[in-house]
Amino acid sequence: MKLHLGSYLSWYVPQHPSRMEINLDKPILLAELVAQLKLPVEEIAIAAVNGTLVSVREAQISDEDIVELHPPNGGG
Amino acid sequence: MAYGTSGKILRIDLTQGSIQVAQFDEDFYRLYPGGKALAGYVLLNELRPGTDALSPENVLVIANGLLTGAPFSATTRFTMAARSPLTGSYGESEAGGYWGPELRMAGFEAIIITGRAEHPVYISIHDDQVELRDAKILWGYEPEEVQAKIRTELADKRVRVLQIGIGGENCVRYAAVTNELRHFNGRTGMGAVMGSKNLKAIAVRGSGRYHDHAHDIKPISEIGRALGKRVKDHPQAWDLQVKGTPGLVGAFNTGGFLPTRNFRQGVFAGVDNIKWEAYEKILSDRHTCYACAIRCKREVKVDDRYQVSAAYGGPEYETVEGFGGYCGVDDLQAIAKANELCNRFTLDTISTSSTIAFAMECFEHGLIGLKETGGLNLRFGNAEAMVKVVELIAKREGIGNLLAEGSKRAAQAIGGDAHLYAIQVKGMELAMHDPRGKVGVGIGYSVGEYGGDHLYTIHDTLVANAESITFKGTEPLAIAALPPRELGAAKARNYTILENWTSFGKVVGLCYFGPAPRSYMQVGEVLAVVRAATGWEDVTVDDLLRIGERATNLARAFNVLNGFSRKDDTLPERMFQPVEDGPMAGASIDKEEFQKTLDEVYRLKGWNPDTTAPSRDRLRDLDIEWVADLLGV
Ligand code: SF4
Repeated sequence: MKLHLGSYLSWYVPQHPSRMEINLDKPILLAELVAQLKLPVEEIAIAAVNGTLVSVREAQISDEDIVELHPPNGGG
Repeated sequence: MAYGTSGKILRIDLTQGSIQVAQFDEDFYRLYPGGKALAGYVLLNELRPGTDALSPENVLVIANGLLTGAPFSATTRFTMAARSPLTGSYGESEAGGYWGPELRMAGFEAIIITGRAEHPVYISIHDDQVELRDAKILWGYEPEEVQAKIRTELADKRVRVLQIGIGGENCVRYAAVTNELRHFNGRTGMGAVMGSKNLKAIAVRGSGRYHDHAHDIKPISEIGRALGKRVKDHPQAWDLQVKGTPGLVGAFNTGGFLPTRNFRQGVFAGVDNIKWEAYEKILSDRHTCYACAIRCKREVKVDDRYQVSAAYGGPEYETVEGFGGYCGVDDLQAIAKANELCNRFTLDTISTSSTIAFAMECFEHGLIGLKETGGLNLRFGNAEAMVKVVELIAKREGIGNLLAEGSKRAAQAIGGDAHLYAIQVKGMELAMHDPRGKVGVGIGYSVGEYGGDHLYTIHDTLVANAESITFKGTEPLAIAALPPRELGAAKARNYTILENWTSFGKVVGLCYFGPAPRSYMQVGEVLAVVRAATGWEDVTVDDLLRIGERATNLARAFNVLNGFSRKDDTLPERMFQPVEDGPMAGASIDKEEFQKTLDEVYRLKGWNPDTTAPSRDRLRDLDIEWVADLLGV
């Protein structure tokens, strides 16, 4: 699956990549992926799977998916 | 005893050619510690209501804040204020960069400029040596050349130049002012005010130090060192440095509230071509402002279908999106070119792009045609036409002359339904933030003193989750975590507190990106540096909020005296209509609910809900009862 970490979410991952490719043997909950990557769930304001907004807690993801996560964003 | 400032104000009358220095004292500074507060005080006392913004009688105030030039990050900003030629209201814009700190090093807190020079001039300030110099040979030249010529003439490569390009000279109503070619007092047309006064530039050089007037520099230096080290360990500061505001394009699009095609839609099909990953390909360097470790300024260079000079920096989110999705353009080279032209001509990129999007919608509805556009097919998505119109606006040629007046006046001239496509409040175009996705920003657009700006408050999205870093940073301000789209009494309360906090930042010269909610700089640290700079040990967080509130009340009083009332605190009709597509499709603002929330905002502020005039009681509480006498309340 392809993962896009927006804004400062990539700061939490070693080497700070904005984009990652992750192999998933079987579908998992998005929340599990977030936990594996040690991303703070309270910093995720927008989660989308294949362009559709989802809840981190409930969404299931599989190997073909494109997942986007963004933190709270303001102006500037 | 040092209390954070020299207390010196330069007064320059361009008609008389006179230069004087005025001095204020500590009691005055406690009430008006620079920036927006000082500007509001001067404009209320010295500018006759009803004055034409482009007449010699308009008063231009340039004011540093209490912390401008302090030796740590995000203390770079200064205010330019006058009656706005775009809105007719209190007009104001802050810029970072280097110029404000340099003015402080030259020993001045502020400059008050009146009158109109007979021919173009520039002001040269080198410590206490101040003179008006001939700028006839600089008029018509672009900022890069003007800066070089002034530095040569003054034989000083380090002189900092604040100036206007031809957009300001031609009094485009939303002309900006630039310093160091890359930093801008963007909004409300302060560049046009300079142009109307025949004032091309202000060159400053100072040999002083911030320390000269600071009460106790030690804690300030310590916090400065800690902030310098913190950047890499702080997610938001790191993000500002590495990706910066252009990163917002993709996030907003995914969330479904990326202002697209004049706020009709919330997602942009061409987003992949303009988001951060595309921007990175034209990124040529990163820069910063005075003493700032965050280093969030970007520079772009293009040598392809368009030639884009790196000298004028790189577009921020507002500009990428304004000339991008908002105009339906997915060509980042064209966007970078439009940004570069705005910076060369000193035009506000938000009002320029929004006014062009307005013209595009008028064109698509047949309200203007090829005859009016001089043969340009000004449809959404036409990048080439968009870039061309930027130039026409700056030169006030063809359709550009009409659009240089801003979308509200242009709509009045075009007639028919054109007013529905002018997405503005009080005459100023909305920034690239959809209030249907974050209604607190909409309250700001509505009650903010100069219309559609996005920096009156902290955006709802940053304080929606009680566990997030951004919300936690605001805890000392005692607000509630609320959903971004929720209206009501709690949102009104959040708005008033966060507006006071943001206004405080504009008074003391803090960059929006430093303190809470980004929270690279904690509220407690802000309080500590204010105390150290001034020696006012009794100052509390509540006092900081009162400083902000006082400044907002001065600006509001200015508006009331200039004929503004509740009817002007509005939102464009489009915000009460549903977003057309994307994840936010169908979302709109409930008109009645919105008005009820505004009622609560006025109640909390102590403002009359019809006239919006602050009450005498509230003004007395804020130690500015003299304003009640002016208002007759
Ligand atoms: S955060 Fe960015 S805009 Fe603000 S002062 Fe620092 S470099 Fe300048």
